[in-house]
Amino acid sequence: MPPLVDVRNVTVDYRLKAGGVHTVFKELSLTIQQGEFVCVVGETGCGKSTLLKLLLGSEHPTRGTILINGTPVLQPDRDRGYVPQKYSLFPDKTVLQNIAFGPISEASRPFCFLRPQWWRQRKQVYADALQYMRHVGLSDRDARKYPDQISGGMQQRVAIAQSLMLKPKILLMDESFSALDPNTRRAMQRLLRSIWAENKTTIVFVTHNLSEAVYLGTRVLQITQNGKLNCSEVSLDLLVPDYVRDAKGNPRQDEIDRIIREIDLPVAEPATPSEMVEVAS
Amino acid sequence: MFRVFAQPNRQLAWIASWTLFAIGICVYLRTAQVRHIENPEDHIVPTVKQLVTGFVHSASTPAEEDDEGQLGEHPSVWQRIYGSMLWKDTAASGKRFLISIALMFPAVLLGLHMGAFPWIGRFFIKFVLFFDKIIALSVLPILFIAFGIGEFAKIMLIVIGVAPTIILDSFNLTKSVPTEQVIKGFTLGAGDLCVAYHVILPQIWPRVLNSIRLNLKGIVLFLFAGEMIASQDGLAYRIALLQRHMGMDLIIPYVLWTALLLFVVDLTLKVIIRATNPWFREV
Repeated sequence: MPPLVDVRNVTVDYRLKAGGVHTVFKELSLTIQQGEFVCVVGETGCGKSTLLKLLLGSEHPTRGTILINGTPVLQPDRDRGYVPQKYSLFPDKTVLQNIAFGPISEASRPFCFLRPQWWRQRKQVYADALQYMRHVGLSDRDARKYPDQISGGMQQRVAIAQSLMLKPKILLMDESFSALDPNTRRAMQRLLRSIWAENKTTIVFVTHNLSEAVYLGTRVLQITQNGKLNCSEVSLDLLVPDYVRDAKGNPRQDEIDRIIREIDLPVAEPATPSEMVEVAS
Repeated sequence: MFRVFAQPNRQLAWIASWTLFAIGICVYLRTAQVRHIENPEDHIVPTVKQLVTGFVHSASTPAEEDDEGQLGEHPSVWQRIYGSMLWKDTAASGKRFLISIALMFPAVLLGLHMGAFPWIGRFFIKFVLFFDKIIALSVLPILFIAFGIGEFAKIMLIVIGVAPTIILDSFNLTKSVPTEQVIKGFTLGAGDLCVAYHVILPQIWPRVLNSIRLNLKGIVLFLFAGEMIASQDGLAYRIALLQRHMGMDLIIPYVLWTALLLFVVDLTLKVIIRATNPWFREV
């Protein structure tokens, strides 16, 4: 079965204003299969978000190709959902309008409001959006609220529902839970796992929290830096999420810590590039 | 009292905010009184009674150049107001002002496209930046020579004076929309124009309206400059005309009337911004 995401020999160089070139990736290759939940970890500035931007199509590699379903990535499109850490919602739209934005904008044509079927279609989209809103744990009274009137956790719930509305082939999440408090973060992790288990949407989740990556992902990619930049993969046998959950479904931190010790992944602590450890496949 | 964390109570804050008005009025009244004791015919600092008489006169009688007979033998109050000098001048200036405001909207759209589409931005930005540095009043003679002394030259003066600011403001506001939002728009199936008009424009719109609101004084300044130099009606034309006769009893009411109108427009725009953008809390 061909991979859903195929990153082939990708090199990303940035020209520095002071002169010279900064290489973020050199000959990076990786594949992601349909239905995988891939977590990308690494220290600040190692290129996690760059990898996500490459997959999104908002940045382009200096050399190499990125294929999604065999098609080269040119620019962000509806095949890839996106949940960033900040600015994940449109501030001028209510919760319901945010969730319904995708299908509404897709169906919009010039003067479409003149056609009666447009209004029927629109009504149906809002009814569906309400279902998605409930699905991510929001109540009906939140529908008319604006993003600045709801908490950070609720905003990310809306952002996930917004992206799932269009049933993207792959959901790209850039440190989506980083700004949340521990309890909300845990609740969001459970929600994301349940959504993934239910829909089998392929997810690429960037985080600097290794515990989170181990808990969430079926595979953890660690981007390391050792003179030349490369990417190492660690496959974790976490296809059954209950493996690291207690009876209530909460993540078992002791179990996660044990896995991290066993696979000898460096726990996220400040380190100089030379001290960073490359993890063998 | 004057510390950073001072918290004035409501009554004192209200008194503090009106103190300068009260002082200004008192100083004026005292000056008028003193001058009228020295010279009962003084026109430089008219008394309140003279000001009220002047305002009522301007709001109920036609201008000298107009035929008083147009109103008929027994005109109603509304007919008097409608045919008055003040109404005629306000309508003439208001028409120019509204046309100028309307011409700001293409400027907003240009700024939006410059910010959203890099090629359009590159094409226009240097020219607009250069244009912005031209002192609008310095091109007034050129405008009068090129377009005559009609309405077009006066409106062009306002556009040249204010439009570059609005274009650059819209451009910067568009640029300030987080990239994440733009990317998000595309991942939600929106096209280029949909992102520009349904993602970026609604976010910058209240700020653009606010920018226009803050530039109202600039618009009126250029409007008055045009009217004072070459016009046959309008509030500024009347003020310039009355200046020759030292008609302070009419000039001061006209100045206060203009300030009141501008205040009402400002307040209306504020209300519109708040009512149409309930999510926006910066105004």
